[in-house]
Parts: sequence; C-alpha cells; structure tokens
Amino acid sequence: MATVLPRASGGPPVSLRWPPEDNRIPREIFTDPDLFRWEMDALFTGPVWVLVGHEAEIPQPGDYKTISVGAVPVIVVRGGDGQVQVLVNACAHRGARLVEGPSGNVLRAGFRCIYHMWTYAPDGTLQGVSLPEDFPAEFRREDYGLPRARVATHRGLIFASFHDETPPLPAYLAELTEGLDRVVGDGRLRYLGSVKVVFRTNWKLYVENIYDGYHVTALHTGFQVVRLRSHGGQRLVPNYQRNGHLWGQSRSTRVDELRPVLRDMSLFEVRTKPTTDHNMIVVFPSGVVTDYFDTIQLRYVLPLAVDRTLIEFTFFARSDDPEEVVRHRVRQGPAVLGPAGAITLEDAAALERVQTSSVARGDNVVLKGTPKRFPPYRHVDEAPIRHFYQAYRRLLGVADGAPSQP
Amino acid sequence: MSALSDVASREQAARELLAHYVRVVDDPERVHEWPDLFADETEYVVVTRENLERGLPVAVIRDDSKDRILDRVTVIREFWGAGGRLEDRHYNDVRPRHLVGPVWTEPAEDGSVRVTANFGVWLTPSADPTPRLLALGEYRDHVVFTPQGPRFRSKWVILDTAVLQDVFVYPL
Repeated sequence: MATVLPRASGGPPVSLRWPPEDNRIPREIFTDPDLFRWEMDALFTGPVWVLVGHEAEIPQPGDYKTISVGAVPVIVVRGGDGQVQVLVNACAHRGARLVEGPSGNVLRAGFRCIYHMWTYAPDGTLQGVSLPEDFPAEFRREDYGLPRARVATHRGLIFASFHDETPPLPAYLAELTEGLDRVVGDGRLRYLGSVKVVFRTNWKLYVENIYDGYHVTALHTGFQVVRLRSHGGQRLVPNYQRNGHLWGQSRSTRVDELRPVLRDMSLFEVRTKPTTDHNMIVVFPSGVVTDYFDTIQLRYVLPLAVDRTLIEFTFFARSDDPEEVVRHRVRQGPAVLGPAGAITLEDAAALERVQTSSVARGDNVVLKGTPKRFPPYRHVDEAPIRHFYQAYRRLLGVADGAPSQP
Repeated sequence: MSALSDVASREQAARELLAHYVRVVDDPERVHEWPDLFADETEYVVVTRENLERGLPVAVIRDDSKDRILDRVTVIREFWGAGGRLEDRHYNDVRPRHLVGPVWTEPAEDGSVRVTANFGVWLTPSADPTPRLLALGEYRDHVVFTPQGPRFRSKWVILDTAVLQDVFVYPL
C-alpha cells in the first residue's frame, strides 16, 4: 500500500506573476526559494510519475539504490520476492536516514536504523525494535513501516508517485511508451554505471533545454566542427493536453560522412542500430531517456536548491550485447553525454549563465516554431518548451495570464 | 637509460613528470603539451571510487589510447574553443588549480615507477570570484622511461567526489 505524504496547503507564492503570452517565461521562477519549496510539494509529490531508475540497476533480490523524489530522499529496493519498492529513506521512529551510500544489498540484514536499532525488511515493513518495554500499549509494528511511494514499471523503467490521484502509468505515459520502447527495447538491460554532476541552474532550466531544438547547432559547436547535422526529425509533445512529455526524434549524419577531425571517430558512430535515428525523451517532470548514437542513457534530474540541480547520467547496454558492443558503449557514452562529454559542457555553461542573470527579472522568450500552436514541431524548434510550462502551471495552480491569488 | 639506472633518480624523474603534468593542466595555454606526457601505449582514466569499487565500467573519462588523449585536446580547443578568442568559447571561463601531495613512489623490478598522490582541483571562474572545489581524489600513475624521457604508461584519477561539483574542460 502506498503512503500519501502530508503536503502543504495553499497555493503558490502570492508574488508569482505570469505573462499572458504563453511563450514568455518569468525569470523569477528560477530564483524564488518559496516557489522552489512549493514545486517540491505540489509538483514532485503531486499527481506525477517520477522516473527513479531502471530494474537493471538493482538486479538481485535485496539490491537497492538511493535517489530522491523532489525533496524526499528515497530508497529504490528489490525485495526478497523480486518486487520493486520505493521507500522513504528515513526511520519511521525519529527520522534518521537509514542508508547512506548510493547502493547496496539488504537481503539478509534489512535496513537497520543506527539511532535506536529499529530494523526493517527490504520491503519496508518494520521487523523489530530494540527494548520495546514501556512503549504505549497501542504500539503496533505494522503502523510503523517505512512510508512508500506507489510504484509502476514500464519495460524495467521504475516510476514512483506519492500522490493518490496520479493516473495509472500507461495512461500517464500514453503515446510516449512507443518512444520509450525504441530506447529500452524489451527492457532487458545491463547497468554500466553512472556519472553525477551538479549543474548550477534551476531544475526547470535543465529540463526545458531538452525541449529546445533551436540551441543544438548554435551551442554545440562540436557538431559544426565535424559537420554533424540533423537530417529531418520532429519534436512531439505526446498527450500534450494532459502532461508535458517530450519525444524528440532526429536522424544525424553517418560517421563516415563526418569531417574526421578526431583520430578516433567512434564517439559519433552508430553500430547497433540500422539507422542513425535517435530519440531524446523527457518523461515529465524530470526523467530523461535517450539512445543518442549507441548510448542508452537515463538521466535523473534531482533538484538540490533553487539554483543547483544534480544530474545523474546512467548508462546501459542491452543484456545480450556482445562484449565488444558493451566496450563501445562504455567508451562512447560519457565521452558524449557526461560532465566531461563533448556535448554536455556547453549546456552547463549556457544554463548557468541564464540562471545567474535571472535576477535581472523580466521574461525569457520562446520564439522558434511558435507560430504553430500544437505538436508536432520541427526538430529545430524551441516551441515545445511552452507545453512543458503548460503542464507545470496546471500542477502548480498558476492560471494562464492572471496573477495567482492566495 | 644508463643515466636513470639508479633507483633514486628514476623516482625523482617520476616525481618531476607529475610536477610537470600539474604545470601543464593548470595552464589553459599549454593544454596542447598534455599528450606529450603520455607514452605511445597509454591510458588516461578518470573514474569515481564508487564505480571502481562496484566494478562498473563507466568512467567520467576513459581515454584508452594515445589517439583518444590527442582527441581530447582537439575537443577542448576546437569543440569548446579553449585557447581561442574569448567570444568563441562555449564554456564558462575558469582557471583550474591542482593541489597535489603527498606523493609516494614505488620502483618496480622492470625499471618503471608506480606513483600515487593525493590531489584536489579547484576552479576559479572569471565571472565569479568564489573558487569551487571540483574534485578530490588520488592519482595512481605508472611511469615508464622512454628514449624521450619519463612518460605515463597509465594515469588513473580516482575521484572521492562521487558527485562532480561542476563540469570541466581541462584534464584532471
């Protein structure tokens, strides 16, 4: 049974202003700490499914990893019965963090709180407490399991929700499942590891950047150097009336047609797919799924503070990949998409600049592709950003065009 | 080799290679000299202790050939515009600073030297006077002696910093 977390009542910060035009984004949403707290509550623990992992990261019974859902630290764990649970990483007694590291296995030992030696089974049920004499007579262990999120999976992708009214996952993902299936295939993946880095930007700037096809050739100058272009593609916003997912599709220049400025061009090589088509997907609000070149990557966008966001880049191979394919993926993935990757650094640079100058107030403007009102857009358009913010505003209760009232 | 046959002088030469490395990676104008410090058969790997201890193959950087090391300089200079005109740069300008030490050396039977050292890398952005601690960790180097002098047969950069505190341009 899932637990619904208690949440703050009321509305967004009274001062929040939104321009009437839907292609304008008020800069104060990137700097307002009250709004940030409201987002963690109303959005991340609201009626959304947050991507928290893939089952390949926790393949064995008892395997766990830690992550967060908005501000809530959680443990994603595979129980002894194979079922995946998402548990709040805080003892139900006095709230001490239960596990410290990024991953481990608790099949035998369970989770034991260091503070008063309460122990929990891998599925979060309370197994034992130390010295329970003189507890109130009504104390029952079953009342003190770890709070857990609703969990749903799609082809091994693990989603968590702390809200009762979140629609079933298939309805939430809707047409996006076709894109996800193209990336994760039948879901049988092998986890290769992750690379984590702090972006000095608000989490929304990180996410909206993925909706923006306009910056790709302008900002990522490496693409110009090797003459890599997109040969068609589109940016879809599946189910845009209900949520703000993105499904970007693009076909890039074949490696043998690129300008060979690198001695080892395998960085840009596609060996595992019949074409150079790739998908760049955002599962609203904070999950990124892509199969760029031969890199199978999930990204978890984890807000730390109003101006700091942890990006965890996780890399996968397919379970049946031959070793030389695994090696190719290992060599390519972080070299392209990661903190020292050939096309990641520039995003961090641009987004940090947008963040630091957001104190200038005013609005950011979205122009390219906006004469078209609805998806599909061209792959070079930034117009899909509007749909991200439409979904965002619905969840936060920020009405179109009018200042919000308390 | 005869001049370096003495164990102490080989260890000293390996320490000097590391000192020279730090001078080069801290100077954005000298990044093109960085590959010269590596042998022809070589590797440069930056990996978190977390992935290393779990046996996960993903590294922050896995330049497993001299070609990949040379390519890194091309990416730094041509993709990101480092060393060129300020307005052509597609990263936020920072001055890296390595603090290295202590350094331990261990001579091997075959004449090579294993070098380990603690290190920290700070970034000082030009647009923000507050230095940022990018990463802390440990170097595990294998230094061999070539006709051209001491070179890295391998350089492993093990990061205690499981979460890098920034993206970065220049090698760690």
